[in-house]
Amino acid sequence: MLRRWLASGRLRVAAAALAAAGTLSAALAPLLGEAVSESLWGIEPMAYAGGVALIAGLGLLTASYAARGMPAGGPAASGEGQAPERWSEITQRYFEVFHHDLGRPLSRIVGKERELRAALQERSGEIDPAVADLLDEIERQAPNFRLMMSNLQALIQLEGGPTTVREDAVEPAEVVRRIVERYHGVAVEAGKQITWWSEPAEFGIVYSDGSAIEHIVTNLIDNAVRFAAGEVEVKLTRNPTHFFVRVWDDGLGIPAQYVAHLFDRGWTPEAARRDEKVSSGLGLFIAQTLAARQRGGLTVESVTVPDPDHHTGFLLSLPLGRSTGAPPA
Amino acid sequence: MADARAEGSILIVDDEVASPIVSAVRRRLEADGWRTVAVEPEGGWRSGDEFEAAALYAIEEAKPDGVLLDVRFGDARDDLFKGLDILRKIVTAHPTLPVLMFTQYAQGPDRETAVRSTLRWDAPVDFIDKLASPEEVVLRLRRLIGTAPEVIRMGGRITLNVSAKTVTVTGKSVEVSGPSGPAALADIHGMRFEILRELAVAWYKSPGRLVPFSALERYSEGEDARASLRVRVREIKDVLGKALGEHLGAGDLIINVRDQGYRLMPKE
Repeated sequence: MLRRWLASGRLRVAAAALAAAGTLSAALAPLLGEAVSESLWGIEPMAYAGGVALIAGLGLLTASYAARGMPAGGPAASGEGQAPERWSEITQRYFEVFHHDLGRPLSRIVGKERELRAALQERSGEIDPAVADLLDEIERQAPNFRLMMSNLQALIQLEGGPTTVREDAVEPAEVVRRIVERYHGVAVEAGKQITWWSEPAEFGIVYSDGSAIEHIVTNLIDNAVRFAAGEVEVKLTRNPTHFFVRVWDDGLGIPAQYVAHLFDRGWTPEAARRDEKVSSGLGLFIAQTLAARQRGGLTVESVTVPDPDHHTGFLLSLPLGRSTGAPPA
Repeated sequence: MADARAEGSILIVDDEVASPIVSAVRRRLEADGWRTVAVEPEGGWRSGDEFEAAALYAIEEAKPDGVLLDVRFGDARDDLFKGLDILRKIVTAHPTLPVLMFTQYAQGPDRETAVRSTLRWDAPVDFIDKLASPEEVVLRLRRLIGTAPEVIRMGGRITLNVSAKTVTVTGKSVEVSGPSGPAALADIHGMRFEILRELAVAWYKSPGRLVPFSALERYSEGEDARASLRVRVREIKDVLGKALGEHLGAGDLIINVRDQGYRLMPKE
């Protein structure tokens, strides 16, 4: 209520008038004071009142603009009013416009790389492994870029504050299948395999936010493909109230001291080791935040080398949604 | 990725059909057995409206199995989302024709949902980023078009013919070469063939998808269905390994995944 009053246009007009009057009073005080009286007694109160009016007017103006353009109490405290949503919507719109242009140079580079690969294959039948590695490295930038754009998009939405939990009809098996297709080529090039299945095989639909599920699982599979020694497994299961996506890899495992920071914003294992950063450290933060917003959770368990069973498994759990009697959003 | 003789055709509607990105997709589709037809409006001037007219005409003429449709046609304001107008007209006129929207825009489910809400609820329409690999585009089109082909080629040398119920191997082995090309492997028939067919179709539709034991155990006999299945899979691998002239170990071709089921993993 207070924020709405502060953000109102009328208040800004009144504040501007007050500041102007204060400036005018302060400026005219010596002249008026002298005219009113021979002594200087009239100047000081007038200058003082003008100064107070100026400061109050400017203060109100600042508060009003702040209330209009930013969420009060930070991005998370936007339960009332439309400002954060509006900010998020505008940023999102700009992002979509620029995304097209941002993608264009990479699209040209990747296109040329594919042309070169085809030409080399046509000419000599088989590409030199060292050249193929370089071409693969360029090709790998495409999914990296897509994930980075997707993370930025999700971050803009998250910064916009809490939104209504969506309950669209979503086929989780279809979402997983699409993501596996995206990473299949990358994994094979790196000598790794992704296997996925669901129990039951005909998994059916859930009522949830398809965008959030896709975003979370993409981040998990991207990580798993990056850190796996050879195998990545994605398993979908459900119980009467929730469904679960488990993403497992046979990598070296995550040391216990790192596990506590995995979901921190901006934290990466490279940062802990002072190595060159190869990731933004946003993926898992966004994934866990999105899971929590969908009234679910994202947890991790890991066994490290030298244990022969070394692996890392992330478990995403989300409510099935309205059709199965799960708690409504 | 192995190839399937899809024997269908894909219509490509894109104002940058000669660009490296679209050319790579086209090559990959053709390697997968699809015939590709690109829409080329007549005359030098190619506006979004002309693409629309040419696309609708080409659908009537060529009767493609699927359409790969760009969203943006040039930089003119009216053509920025022309592909969505064309999409709506295709869905209205040909409601069962699969259309894959090929776009550089950050689509995201929000926009997809907005577009879908203007279409029939069951329209076979999907969206894919132009930065997707050609293989991903092919997989998405396969899924959209739905049916698995009659002939599935796995890894270049093994071919499974669903209707003829035969498996052939091309290569060095004299044993499998007949006078008119590769002969069918006589030892893969009945339940062995059905197991291999289940695995091949699952792999064709989604490489990496595991077929659970429950879906395969109906092709086994005896009290211990799991053990019987294991024996049949071993027999299939032995026959194929012999024909290929190599030993197929536990990690080759048909993989048992963590006691959950089997998946096909042909060599690239």
